[in-house]
Amino acid sequence: MTWLAWRLQRTETLVAAGILALTAALLVPTGISMSEAFHHDGLGSCLAPNPGLSCVQKIGAFQSHYQALNFVTNWFTLVPGVLGVLLAAPFILDLEHRTYRLVWTQSITRRRWVAVKLALAGFAAVGASAVLIALITWWRTPLTDIGGRLDTGTYDTTGTVAIGYALFALGLAAAIGAVWRRSAVSLTLAFVGYFAVRIVDDYWLRNQLASPLHATWRGGRLPDYLEKANILSQSITVNGRVVDRGSGTGGVLGAHAQLAAPGSDRNAVFHAVYQPASYFWTLQIRETLLFTAVGAACLVFAAVWTQRRVA
Amino acid sequence: MENAAVRCEGLGKQYGSTWALSDCTLEIPAGSITALVGPNGAGKTTLLHLVIGLMRPTKGSVAVLGQSPSAKAAELLPRLGFVAQDHPLYRNLTVTETLELGRRLNPGWDAAYARERVARLGLDGRRKVGKLSGGQQAQVALTLALAKRPQLLVLDEPVASLDPLARREFLNAVLEAVAEGDVTVILSSHIVSELERVCDHMVALIQSHTRLAGPIDEILASHRVLIGPRTGATGVARVHDVIRESHTERQTTLLVRANGHVYDTCWQQHEVDLEEVVLAYMGYAPGGAMPLPEPEAVA
Repeated sequence: MTWLAWRLQRTETLVAAGILALTAALLVPTGISMSEAFHHDGLGSCLAPNPGLSCVQKIGAFQSHYQALNFVTNWFTLVPGVLGVLLAAPFILDLEHRTYRLVWTQSITRRRWVAVKLALAGFAAVGASAVLIALITWWRTPLTDIGGRLDTGTYDTTGTVAIGYALFALGLAAAIGAVWRRSAVSLTLAFVGYFAVRIVDDYWLRNQLASPLHATWRGGRLPDYLEKANILSQSITVNGRVVDRGSGTGGVLGAHAQLAAPGSDRNAVFHAVYQPASYFWTLQIRETLLFTAVGAACLVFAAVWTQRRVA
Repeated sequence: MENAAVRCEGLGKQYGSTWALSDCTLEIPAGSITALVGPNGAGKTTLLHLVIGLMRPTKGSVAVLGQSPSAKAAELLPRLGFVAQDHPLYRNLTVTETLELGRRLNPGWDAAYARERVARLGLDGRRKVGKLSGGQQAQVALTLALAKRPQLLVLDEPVASLDPLARREFLNAVLEAVAEGDVTVILSSHIVSELERVCDHMVALIQSHTRLAGPIDEILASHRVLIGPRTGATGVARVHDVIRESHTERQTTLLVRANGHVYDTCWQQHEVDLEEVVLAYMGYAPGGAMPLPEPEAVA
């Protein structure tokens, strides 16, 4: 039975391997050159607190050089979704082509068949996303050493969340496919759903997963602990009056740079709500468990629905 | 051994608010080759799916080889062979891989028989099933069902999508398989003429009810066409069940299920073929559509 389920999933598994190979073809050469540049410029020694001006310049040059590439790899957060949806295809095709009638009337029960098929897809989704995470984590090492791991692009593709994303996409596609029994529509719909949920996740859900900290400081340097933090919102107050507020890291750094420049208002008080860099694993584990649980619930729904409603 | 391979009592299946099959009571004798006939949408596929355990009944009960197909699936499935409508197969698997599927999913798999059968059909084991002709695919699906060495073989519209030659070959293959072992066969079709040659029993399922069931020779022996001067059917109906009546200006034609052999001498008596009987039960009259007889008339 496992042989058959594996044989029927072979094409999708090979496509998934192809996607990973393409990713590696892009990331391995650029990763090697980026890592060499990092060491060649001696950036490792610039990462201590209070770097000198030359260090700040070197880091800035390095970051802007790899900015475009960094931006491209942020989109790899969609790959777990593609992998999950893709691996749901054999399950839905079985329903669409009515071949389940062939398998369910051999000498095995439908419960075992559905369980084996979905479990195998789940294993493949976990395996493929783990490979993706390993690749991207390695590739990003110089960038995360500088900027931390809490910016959205890095957070989404390192740690463990991508495994949860892949299982969620797999479960969503299987659940829609169990009801709809049309692979093309179900897979498309599942991917759109995945994309929508991930946007909500990046911009709202994640910020709710661990209670944020508050920081207040007066002009001058940005506190070190905010350098690699996930800043949810900030405001600037001058003489008890809020002069600027916004969300996101870019806003506060930009405003800070402006106000901290020589000659600017020394009475400015900065306030930020943030998740510190040390939250990384707490957030990762909570989010992974959440997505895995929802994905597993979808898979159970798909299995139960298929056994009860399909004949 | 049970003398009924399949026994249905008051069997019904509801989808939403419509009954795909209702109040179906029938017995299919062990060792028979039974044709399940009826128009499209009559509930043939539903009945077969209930028999094979793909569905659970909404009402009533079905016993297959003495067991409930939905409750005892694991015990019963190895004893059943099934070819679903349009004989679904994995198109990307080769013929050899398809037989491997059978071997891995069935404890009682007869590998030698399956190989021999595929070789006899002249199929190249390395070919993808999707690349085979419809007739060849049907034969592969039948091989898969037969190599389980089933006690009951259920075929849903096995020849509907096949050309006449492939039809004949398929049905011959079924006959051969039956001759080799002790197998009960149920096959559904809306093409009656094909089945007459192969089957010895028949069940007619019309508008989700069983309207006619029994050995084909008895069905043929008990039905007659009566042709006589134009008159009502009332006189005949007192003795026999009138299944269909049609009238021209001068004469009346009746298809009756005879209760005894007493006919008024004014009626000319003709034998009927199976297709005509089935069509009559389906409500088809050559001179124009007739309403179906009340169920009591044929009960």
